[in-house]
Amino acid sequence: MNIFIYDSFLNQKKYDRLLARLETRITDLGLNGKISRLGPTRNVQEAVNNELKRGAKTIVSVGNDKTINQIINALAGSQVSLGIVPIGQANNDIAKSLGIESAEAACDILSARLLAKLDLGLANQTYFLSNVSINNQGTVIDMNKSYTIETAEKGLIYIFNLIHQQIKLPPKVKIMPNDGFLELVISTYGHKSFFTKQDHQSIFKIKKITIHNLKAQLLLDGSIALAVPAVITVAPKCLNVIVGKNKNF
Amino acid sequence: MFNKQNQGEALGEFETIIGPSVKVKGDFNGQGNIIVEGEVQGNLKTNGNLEVGEKAKITANVEAKEAKIGGEVAGNLKIKGFLEITATAKIFGDLETASLSIERGAVFNGKCLMTAGQTEIKKPSQEK
Repeated sequence: MNIFIYDSFLNQKKYDRLLARLETRITDLGLNGKISRLGPTRNVQEAVNNELKRGAKTIVSVGNDKTINQIINALAGSQVSLGIVPIGQANNDIAKSLGIESAEAACDILSARLLAKLDLGLANQTYFLSNVSINNQGTVIDMNKSYTIETAEKGLIYIFNLIHQQIKLPPKVKIMPNDGFLELVISTYGHKSFFTKQDHQSIFKIKKITIHNLKAQLLLDGSIALAVPAVITVAPKCLNVIVGKNKNF
Repeated sequence: MFNKQNQGEALGEFETIIGPSVKVKGDFNGQGNIIVEGEVQGNLKTNGNLEVGEKAKITANVEAKEAKIGGEVAGNLKIKGFLEITATAKIFGDLETASLSIERGAVFNGKCLMTAGQTEIKKPSQEK
C-alpha cells in the first residue's frame, strides 16, 4: 500500500489546487493509497512508524528536502521504498538530483517504480540523504586521526552523499550515492561565482570523519541544524528510493 | 597515466583533490588518483596516480603508481611506473622509479634509482 505523507506546510490553502490535481493524477495511474497529513500534533516519526506497522509498501514524501530528511530518519534500514513528490521549486534539491523535476513528473516516476538502493550519511544519530554543510571558519576536520586538514581561505565545507545538480565539480570527479563512501568537498570563496573555479575546491573520499567547531552548526540536507562535534559516517545501501531516469548518478 | 599508452587511464576519475588553499598534515593514504594543488606535510601514499600542480608544496615522502610533478617536493619519491617531472618542478629528495622524464628547467637535487632494470634482471632467475 502507498502511504502519502503530506508535510504540514501543505495545509495552507494555496496548495489545495495543486494537491487536488496531484491526487487526480495519482488515482488515474492507479497509485492511490492512504494520505497522512502532518501537523503540529503529529510528527513524521510517529506517522511513519504507524504506517510501517500496518504493512506499508511505499512511503511517499510530499513536501520538500526537510520532509524527506525527516522521513528517512524514520525509514532508514527498512525494506520499505521511499517515493518523492516535490512541491514547489525551492528546497527540493534532493528530488532534482534523483531526476524528479516536478510534482507532475513525480507521479509518472512513482508509476514506473525504478528503484535504487542508496547509501545514507549519518551525523551522530541523524541520517541525511544529500549533504551536510558547515562554515569552514574555526572548523577542525579530523580524518580518522591519521591526518588533519586546514584551510587558509574562508568558505564552506560540504560532505556529500548525493550531489546537487547546481553544484559544479571538476570534470574528472564523480559522486555516487551508492558507492559506500561520502565525499568531503572544501570550497573556498575568493571568486564571485561560488563553486565554479575548479582550483578552489578540495575533494576527499571518506568513510568516517569528525567535525569540531565551537560556534557554527552543521546543516543536514539544507534544512536540519545539528550541534557539533559530530561524527559523520556512511550507512551503505540502507534506503530503497524510487528515482527518475534523469538521476545525476 | 601521462604517456600515450595509458591515455585511457589519464581520463580516469580523481578520488582526491587537495586544493590551493588547503593544507593536509599527517599520513595520507589514498586508493585512487590524487591531484595536489595545495600543501601536504607528512606522508603521501596512493595506489593510483598522482599529479602535483605548479603551486603545490609537498614536504613528505611520496609513493604512487605513476606521477606528474610540477610543484615543489621535499622528500623521497617512490613511483612504481612512469614519473614525469615538468619544467616548473623542484625536487629535493631521492627518486625511485621505473621510467623517468625530466623536462628542461626542472630542479632536481638528490639520487635517482631506476627500478625497472633490476626487476628485469631478477625475473629470469625466478622463473628457473
